[in-house]
Amino acid sequence: MKLTVNGREHKVESAPLTPLLHVLREELTITSPKAGCQQGGCGACTVLVDGQPLRSCLMPVAAVEGSKVTTLEGIGTPERLAPVQAAFYEQYGSQCGFCTPGFLMATHALLERSPSPTREDIEEALSGHVCRCTGYVKILASVEAAARGDVGEEKAEPSLDDAQPGEPGVLVPGSPA
Amino acid sequence: MKAVGARLPRYDGVAHVTGRSTFVDDVRVTNMLWAKALRSPHHHAGIKSIDTSKAEAMPGVHAVVTASDVPRNVYGHLEALGIPGDEPLLAEEDVRYLGQPIAVVAADSEEAAQAGVQAIEIELEERPALFDVRLAADPDAPKIHHWGNWYPHFEADFDHRQIRKGDVDKAFADADVIVSGVYRPAAIEQLPLETQTGLAVPEPDGRLTIYSCTQALYFSMGVVAAHLQWPLNKLKFVGGTVGGGFGGKVDTATETLIALLALKSGRPVKWRWTREEEFLCSSTRAPWHMEIADAVTKDGWILGRKMLTLHDSGAYARFSPYGVTKHSFHHTGAYTIPNLHFDGYCVFTNRPPTSAMRGFGVTSVSFATELHVSRIAEVLGIDPFELRLRNANRIGDTSPNWISYTDPSTVPTILEIAGAVGHELGGDYRGMTRDPREGELLPDHLVAQQKLNGDGH
Repeated sequence: MKLTVNGREHKVESAPLTPLLHVLREELTITSPKAGCQQGGCGACTVLVDGQPLRSCLMPVAAVEGSKVTTLEGIGTPERLAPVQAAFYEQYGSQCGFCTPGFLMATHALLERSPSPTREDIEEALSGHVCRCTGYVKILASVEAAARGDVGEEKAEPSLDDAQPGEPGVLVPGSPA
Repeated sequence: MKAVGARLPRYDGVAHVTGRSTFVDDVRVTNMLWAKALRSPHHHAGIKSIDTSKAEAMPGVHAVVTASDVPRNVYGHLEALGIPGDEPLLAEEDVRYLGQPIAVVAADSEEAAQAGVQAIEIELEERPALFDVRLAADPDAPKIHHWGNWYPHFEADFDHRQIRKGDVDKAFADADVIVSGVYRPAAIEQLPLETQTGLAVPEPDGRLTIYSCTQALYFSMGVVAAHLQWPLNKLKFVGGTVGGGFGGKVDTATETLIALLALKSGRPVKWRWTREEEFLCSSTRAPWHMEIADAVTKDGWILGRKMLTLHDSGAYARFSPYGVTKHSFHHTGAYTIPNLHFDGYCVFTNRPPTSAMRGFGVTSVSFATELHVSRIAEVLGIDPFELRLRNANRIGDTSPNWISYTDPSTVPTILEIAGAVGHELGGDYRGMTRDPREGELLPDHLVAQQKLNGDGH
């Protein structure tokens, strides 16, 4: 079988009924989709299949053969964050980080099809995603910031010069610091 | 202090939003095996026999570990503090909660490991089980723990945590009203999105590298070393990227068993609990049973408190004695009650061992105290905000264990809440501060609790 992930074609040797999540993580070493529950309940394994967010833990790999699969690794890089990534970073939409890839894929798909979503649209799009850290407030704020285009370097405040020694030392281009 | 109050970027933020953070499950090593556990199908049972020979012969199975493979099977989470252990790493003679691990299997895949687990032959004899902490403390309850139905090893061989402060008999004799209540918060699962996951890698030099999602890295290292009877310098722990813990990853869950499987098979072994295992077998926040009687005056002073707490420790002690101790120190909540008679027991049930969750031991009594103070206000017909402000901890008041408060936040917090909900306070209360008591706020019954500072003498 062949599988296109993040624009690259891979030859897949897993059995046809192997969950897409397992193929991505264990065979292709693409680890952003997480095995949070492996029963479709938490959303942490969400990837895009031809642009649609799907639970990769429930999807047999054979069912997506010939489709374009996109994971979080495929929408932006540390050097060049996608708007949704920058917004979650700047608005503290990610805390422990484990649910974050799923939320980001669902948000990315939402903004592709509906660039100016209402609060209800956002809640509907993210309703299958579980986060135990944030209480969702900062996630909603992140999605709204991304929709407004409210991301970027000029939002930086304060600069790292204000931080004490021992504060984060690794900064990337596009960081708000 | 430039960093305090500033919005600083998270040091791990970019890695989180780009999928680059390496959680334990994301660590890639070659030649890795997967682990699965044979867990008790009963809440309470005797183990009559166990035979792993068929499992060991299964294709793809590389190691099976039972209690007899563990150099030191029983080790207590609080042994470093001199408290004896009660919990076997793998069950030996009996199982005391549903899901208790009896054996673990390492195989080429999760499916092969599960098939190996199912090939283990085990004979169990089911016994009566206890699920309610109150019923477990009854004198005629079935015995479910070799120490008795509650933990007997508090200091000086006390079988409970006890606090005596002031003259509680006088407080109850002087009271206008006695207000009683029973409070029973239920268990809560911490529910981290990342289930318990560990990866043990045998190194060529004989050491083990263990990738762990623990919240307490060095603590877990000590636990593994104790079970293995190894010096710490043969273990390398890698951790710090935790996919949610909330107290549920304080107890050492996977690390020791994957270490044993890795040593026996000579290969890296990963164990990733299923969501079902996380719900059924991991530690939860404890259920509690709290009985409170407060001696109060008509004008709203709480003169004394008698309290009995039963903490549901689950099947084994783990950190529960520590939780009950914290609970006892905080058993008056955010309020100053000078005369106290507190008894707290760590009661065993056939539930999974309970553990920390966000304010270990304290959230339960905060819940009970806040409900109880509101109940007092209702009985007396007094404004519940004003009752709270009057009895609130102030600078110079002392806690149940005689710690003198230097930075109590009760008064400003309650004033802030009253403002937020638009609650009109009486004039005297509106401008209240947390400054040391004087005048009407220092009645006779509160003088003595201030005289002893810090060390209780």
